[in-house]
Amino acid sequence: MTKPTDLVQGTLDLLILKTIALQPLHGWAIAQRIRQVSNHVLQVNQGALYPALHRLEQQAWIKSEWGESENNRRAKYYSLTRAGKKYLQSEESNWHRLSSAIGLVLKNV
Amino acid sequence: MRRLQSLFNWFFSLFHKNTLDSGLSDELRFHLDRQIEQNLASGMSPDEARRAALRDFGGIPKFTEASRDARRTNFLENLLQDVRFGARMLRKNPGFTFFAVAVLAIGIAANSAIFSIADAVLLRPLPYRDANRLVIVWEDASAYGFPNDTPAPGNFADWRARNRVFTDMAATSFGGSYALTGQGNPEKLTGRAVTANLFSVLGVSPALGRDFRPKDDVPGAAHVAILSHGLWLRRFGGDPQIVGKEIRLDDQKTTIIAVMPRGFQFPDRQIELWTPARFSNEDLANHGSHYLHVVARLKPGVSLATANADLSVIAKQLETQYPDDNAKLGAFAVPLRDQFAGDVRPALLMLVGAVCFVLLIACANVANLLLSRAAGRRRELAMRLTLGATRLRILQQMLTESLLLALLAGALGLLLSIFATQFLAALIPNSFAPITGANLDPRILLFTLAVSLATGILFGIIPAFRLSRLHLAPSLQQSAGRGAVGSGGSRLRNALVICEVALAIVLLAGAALLIRSLANLYHLDPGFQSDHVLVVRTPLSYPRYQPFARRVSFYDQVLSKVETLPGVLAAGYTTWVPLTNPGGATSITIEGRPEPAPGEHLIPNIRMISANYPAALRMKLIAGRFFDRTDGSHTQFVALINQTMAKNYWPGENPLGKRFKRGNYKDDRPWFTIVGIVGDVHQAALDLPARPEMYLLYMQFETGFDPEYLALHTSVDPMSLAEAVRQQVWSVDSEQPVSGAMPLSDMVDDNLASRRMQASLLTGFAAIALLLVTLGIYAVLSFAVAQRTQEIGVRVALGAQPAQVLRMIFSQGLKLFLIGAAIGLVAAFLLTRAISHLLFHVSPYDPASFAAITTLLVAVALLACYLPARRATQVDPLIALRYD
Repeated sequence: MTKPTDLVQGTLDLLILKTIALQPLHGWAIAQRIRQVSNHVLQVNQGALYPALHRLEQQAWIKSEWGESENNRRAKYYSLTRAGKKYLQSEESNWHRLSSAIGLVLKNV
Repeated sequence: MRRLQSLFNWFFSLFHKNTLDSGLSDELRFHLDRQIEQNLASGMSPDEARRAALRDFGGIPKFTEASRDARRTNFLENLLQDVRFGARMLRKNPGFTFFAVAVLAIGIAANSAIFSIADAVLLRPLPYRDANRLVIVWEDASAYGFPNDTPAPGNFADWRARNRVFTDMAATSFGGSYALTGQGNPEKLTGRAVTANLFSVLGVSPALGRDFRPKDDVPGAAHVAILSHGLWLRRFGGDPQIVGKEIRLDDQKTTIIAVMPRGFQFPDRQIELWTPARFSNEDLANHGSHYLHVVARLKPGVSLATANADLSVIAKQLETQYPDDNAKLGAFAVPLRDQFAGDVRPALLMLVGAVCFVLLIACANVANLLLSRAAGRRRELAMRLTLGATRLRILQQMLTESLLLALLAGALGLLLSIFATQFLAALIPNSFAPITGANLDPRILLFTLAVSLATGILFGIIPAFRLSRLHLAPSLQQSAGRGAVGSGGSRLRNALVICEVALAIVLLAGAALLIRSLANLYHLDPGFQSDHVLVVRTPLSYPRYQPFARRVSFYDQVLSKVETLPGVLAAGYTTWVPLTNPGGATSITIEGRPEPAPGEHLIPNIRMISANYPAALRMKLIAGRFFDRTDGSHTQFVALINQTMAKNYWPGENPLGKRFKRGNYKDDRPWFTIVGIVGDVHQAALDLPARPEMYLLYMQFETGFDPEYLALHTSVDPMSLAEAVRQQVWSVDSEQPVSGAMPLSDMVDDNLASRRMQASLLTGFAAIALLLVTLGIYAVLSFAVAQRTQEIGVRVALGAQPAQVLRMIFSQGLKLFLIGAAIGLVAAFLLTRAISHLLFHVSPYDPASFAAITTLLVAVALLACYLPARRATQVDPLIALRYD
């Protein structure tokens, strides 16, 4: 069942993929990073984050690994698969196209 | 690659549920801890930190669920859970489960079996090329009492030459058994003499060797034969070098030139051998002897109607050309399949209809059961809804249960239908050519399964739909199913019972009518007595018995020898015993009458008999005398005639002492004096009226109708004398084949066999239907009693007598029954007309039968109502009112 989130589901996927593109992160860290980088505008609800993460993992865009966290506790780290990297690139360019198109309309209509 | 990985992930999730679930909670707990840490770091107190973190999280169960959903394994997991639960429910109610499964399985099995057979007989393609272009051509001799007469070779030749609608026509001759000798055990093979083009007309080439050629089909050509596949395997061991081998057939050296493919049969299963007919020019000009079977292939684009029109034109031409032979003789064609299936089609269609009824009743019964059970589970379902189950989930679960039931029934039904099909296929009469074996057709089985599944699903879901709109509070408060049930539920159930009763009555009506027909047939006087009569065939082969005197001597000697056997009360020879030949007729001319106009010829059946034959069959003497010792080869030619012949040819006169001769007016033939009138014997079949028939003494002169059948009236079991009789025959001629030793009563039974089968099958179906209906009424009433326990308790407490309670329940049940019966009787009146040609001397509206089945049904209904009603009277008001 989909729950209403602050972010459209597709964009949440894009943010997650981008966030872990540089290095593997666990769920909490992903939410933190998104919040920080967006200047606390985008607050990802756990109720949206984890289902999204598990869905992306089920579809093999990302893979997970249990590892040790900063304070030596067990945590699940997510990273991109090769297919996921390509998916990220295409989604990113789509997003740019879409947003500039919207911008044009908002400016010139 | 990614998709593969995704699929793999899915499988993994399916089987590692627990691991993944605990992993998920670990992950979430980690997240929670980190959040709490962060809260603490930003200055909240530990309590606050924890609360804030939890609040942020939202309902943990909710997104645990969501995460799990994301794994996409939900559907399958739920399904497995439902299946396990459903199986447990079924196990806990073994009575219900067993009954429902058995009922559906029987319906499935019966339907699949009958449909398969009907398909094989009525629909499946015949083993000939373009079989729907093949027709059988008959002569229409209704003026002489033979609406489907076997054509004469002359007519066959003329039709073949003159028609414009057939690509070709071929013929097989009538009767034929070939003695195979010189190769191990002598054996009589059943075969046919055919025109050389038969197989090409049918469009089938031999599997080994070559087809007949026109050169083989002329008198004087070397003898050749073609074997059936079965004969090749059975008698010749499937010898691959068989082509070209020589065998002795009827004392002639015959070369085998071919073997037909597996599964090929013509005209029926028993024919193992084909030889060329070798018609001479005289044969082909003979328009007077009628004994062929003619098959033809329609030209492309020609319809049956066009062909029949053409044949009628040719028949008219022949009538003018040959006024003596062809007067009032028509010709018509019948599609090959109709010819084969014609007899059985009405019966099969009736059985198909009947078995559909049975399936409908079975489905209605199961539906009722499911509805009743669902009504009893309202409380459970209401509770589930309250606890948060979605309606979809509940629907899914009930659906699974019904499906389980239906699948179990399907499996059992499949097993039963295999047996049922084999059993029924064995009952198909042998004369059915192309039926190489009615197998269980998978399409039909699938169809029937689909019907049962549909029923299971439909009646599993309907209550679920209704229940999902339950008002939760009242349902929960309601004592577990003991209050008054809403009328909505029981209306559907009552309707189902009414339908069941109506359907059962129609089936019973049909069965009763068929049984009466059968009884009528058994009581019919066939003109002879068949108990304690042994029948044996000794066909004499030419050229050995060419001289007439030798034949007469053979019969004389055999008769005198077998009559001395202990246990033999009378013995007689005849051309054909009853039920072996519907025809065997020849024309006569009566003394003192003017020459009959063409088409007015008298053509009675003829039988050459010995003096004691009427005694052997215990035929009745109406007037005059039987043949006796005073009649011999040198005395006056005498004849016996049957009642029909007396009535038809000498209306209002006494035929005794009158004379007639064989042949036509101008033929110079000896006169026969009629010395006796005997009762009619049903030659063709027990249910067909007798034709005019005359009996002549075999030793008085030569005809083409030599006796072949020896009939013996025995004081002991007929078959016990078979060997002794054979020995006696062999003591006269050691090389004479003796075949077909059979009690006459068996032949009579065979004749009635298919009717018996129809009657027993329909009765079987009606019995099943009756059983189901009884159980249906019983179940509905039991449930009603259980539902109304509180009400009954109140009534009893207020002073109702047991008799009143009894009446209350009885009236509920009987009301259902009477409505159903009324509908059923009306339907039966309308429908029994459809089987009127299966009936014999019984009207489709026979009041006695209808009265009988109504009585039966009333008795059954009373029985069905009795137990639940009795249980109602035993309701203890204290318990009923207190229990919740």
